[in-house]
Amino acid sequence: MEYFLFLVSSGLVMGATYGLVGMGFAIIYKATGIVNFAQGELLMLTAYIAFSIATSLSLSLIPLMIITIPIAMVIGIVLERVFIRPMLGEPLFSIVMVTIGLAVILRGVTIMIWGPDPHEFPTGLSSEVVHIGPVPFYQVQLYGLGTLAVLTAAAWAFFRFTRLGIAMRAVAANEGAAMLMGIEVSRIHMIAWAFAAAVAALAGILFASMFKLGPTIWFEGLRSFPAVILGGLDSVLGAALGGLIVGLIENLAQGYLGQGLREIAGFVVIVVILMLRPYGLFGAREIERV
Amino acid sequence: MRTGHYKETYGELIALSDSNVVWSWVAALGVFVVILPFLVGNYTLSLAISILIAIVGAIGLNLLTGTTGLISIGQSGFLAIGAYANALLATDYGWPVWASLPAAGIVAGAISLLVGIPSLRLKGLYLAITTLAFSFIVNYVILYAEPITHGPNGIFLNDTKVFGLDLSTDRGLYYFVLGVTVLVTLASLNILRSRIGRAWLAIRDHDIAARVMGIDLVRYKLLAFAVSSFFVGIAGGLMSLQIRFINIDVFGFLLSIEALAIIILGGFGSIAGTIMGAVFLTLLPEAIRISLGLFVDPGSSAYTKYVYEIRGIAYGIVIVVFLRFKPDGLIGLWRDVRKYFANWPLAY
Repeated sequence: MEYFLFLVSSGLVMGATYGLVGMGFAIIYKATGIVNFAQGELLMLTAYIAFSIATSLSLSLIPLMIITIPIAMVIGIVLERVFIRPMLGEPLFSIVMVTIGLAVILRGVTIMIWGPDPHEFPTGLSSEVVHIGPVPFYQVQLYGLGTLAVLTAAAWAFFRFTRLGIAMRAVAANEGAAMLMGIEVSRIHMIAWAFAAAVAALAGILFASMFKLGPTIWFEGLRSFPAVILGGLDSVLGAALGGLIVGLIENLAQGYLGQGLREIAGFVVIVVILMLRPYGLFGAREIERV
Repeated sequence: MRTGHYKETYGELIALSDSNVVWSWVAALGVFVVILPFLVGNYTLSLAISILIAIVGAIGLNLLTGTTGLISIGQSGFLAIGAYANALLATDYGWPVWASLPAAGIVAGAISLLVGIPSLRLKGLYLAITTLAFSFIVNYVILYAEPITHGPNGIFLNDTKVFGLDLSTDRGLYYFVLGVTVLVTLASLNILRSRIGRAWLAIRDHDIAARVMGIDLVRYKLLAFAVSSFFVGIAGGLMSLQIRFINIDVFGFLLSIEALAIIILGGFGSIAGTIMGAVFLTLLPEAIRISLGLFVDPGSSAYTKYVYEIRGIAYGIVIVVFLRFKPDGLIGLWRDVRKYFANWPLAY
């Protein structure tokens, strides 16, 4: 039982980072209709920037997040302007390929700036174990779960109540009609990238402080695909929930089925989900006309 | 007076080329590649072998992504299957290379049907993500199925010979790979001008419309996966012959991106473009190495430390720049140049 609880708790913590990265995917997909393959690299770049800030200013976790978010948003806007905006009107496939190209560029540049050696991320948190019921957590893990919960609630409220959130939903539903209603679609795209970068920064900081900051952290982006596919590519809340579920599945598979399964359990989930229910748990079902 | 270039019979329409100029250039290229090993050293020759292997693999990907419109970003998975199938059959089971290489293609083609079946329901991005997931699953299976695949230890391929040609020498391997490349190129050109190739183009342009026109989507999509992966599997087999020691680290995500960069650089759906793309992209890291050598000492730690990153950045820039400024790729550039001179001084 204790083993099971341990697997569940660490699975949920891992799942929280998947959920955060997945929310980034979903925000961009919802607003612009493209899958941003550079999300993991966005996470990597912002995590390294946060690392530099944290070591030079010796900040603790919360102020660090607050400082990094605006920087990340600027990076998101710049990347959208330079790489994605000129591709407006090109086939979807080309735009997605551009994000793949962007991904390898960002990855290479980040490693060349900060070097290939992994770093210990300074969090300023004690490594004491906090018990919630019978389940032990590290402090930073609780921060991770908390961030996901806060962001999920914020995203729900944002898309439900604010003018901007409703405008984003309108663009997602029908770009042409949204434009006719006076919504500036290109601005919405830019804001979506800014938000996605901000979420990526939070995910990056949390992931780096839970584990390590190394040159393979970009892989976290690809590892989070199962979460978004499970939740439905266009559902921000679905991504958060999907992340938790995938984290659980991965950990339980690793714990009970076999060594190394953690690495691929999520990808098996992708294949199964796409065969059974391609639009995910919460995604909108598309109807296609000739 | 004839004012244009007309094709009046069906035979003329599907001929590989009706131009004597093209045929004589092809003949010149043929002579060049045959005498190449006598002109250059071993290093250049091994580069040439890499180019030929890249051509085989990229033609396979282009049939799937460029011609049929099924996006695959998991090519490293199929390459790994081909390489492991060839290496295992040749070493553990003692098959001769002339049998193990086609077998590697067949194994890759058969396994690709596993990905092909979900592709019948999925489109575009979803399929891309499935192929990505598939390539990670392949890597995992190879790593953990140690009794069959040697797991993390990798496989050594020694003393490979085929038809009396010693494949452990660069020259022998070059001629063998050249032969395979020519066969694959001819085979894919012939597929493209047949009903199958035209059916694939129709599926790319609009699959539901193609279905209405009487194209069996299940059959042709699965066929595209099988044929494409057969070629990619053969490319993987050739890779195992060239590097002679394979383990799973060879088949990383960057390899899939390299394959995509080749077909984007060359031009979607064009075999000639794929060949140009493979030549340029394989030589690109060399060109970077040489041009950087003008500024910094090529043996310096800064370069050797980041060689992988520099290569990745170069591929990324190629992908971004070509999609932005020349989505037709090099073959489109070549067509523009040709048209410019043919119509000069008029614009068109």
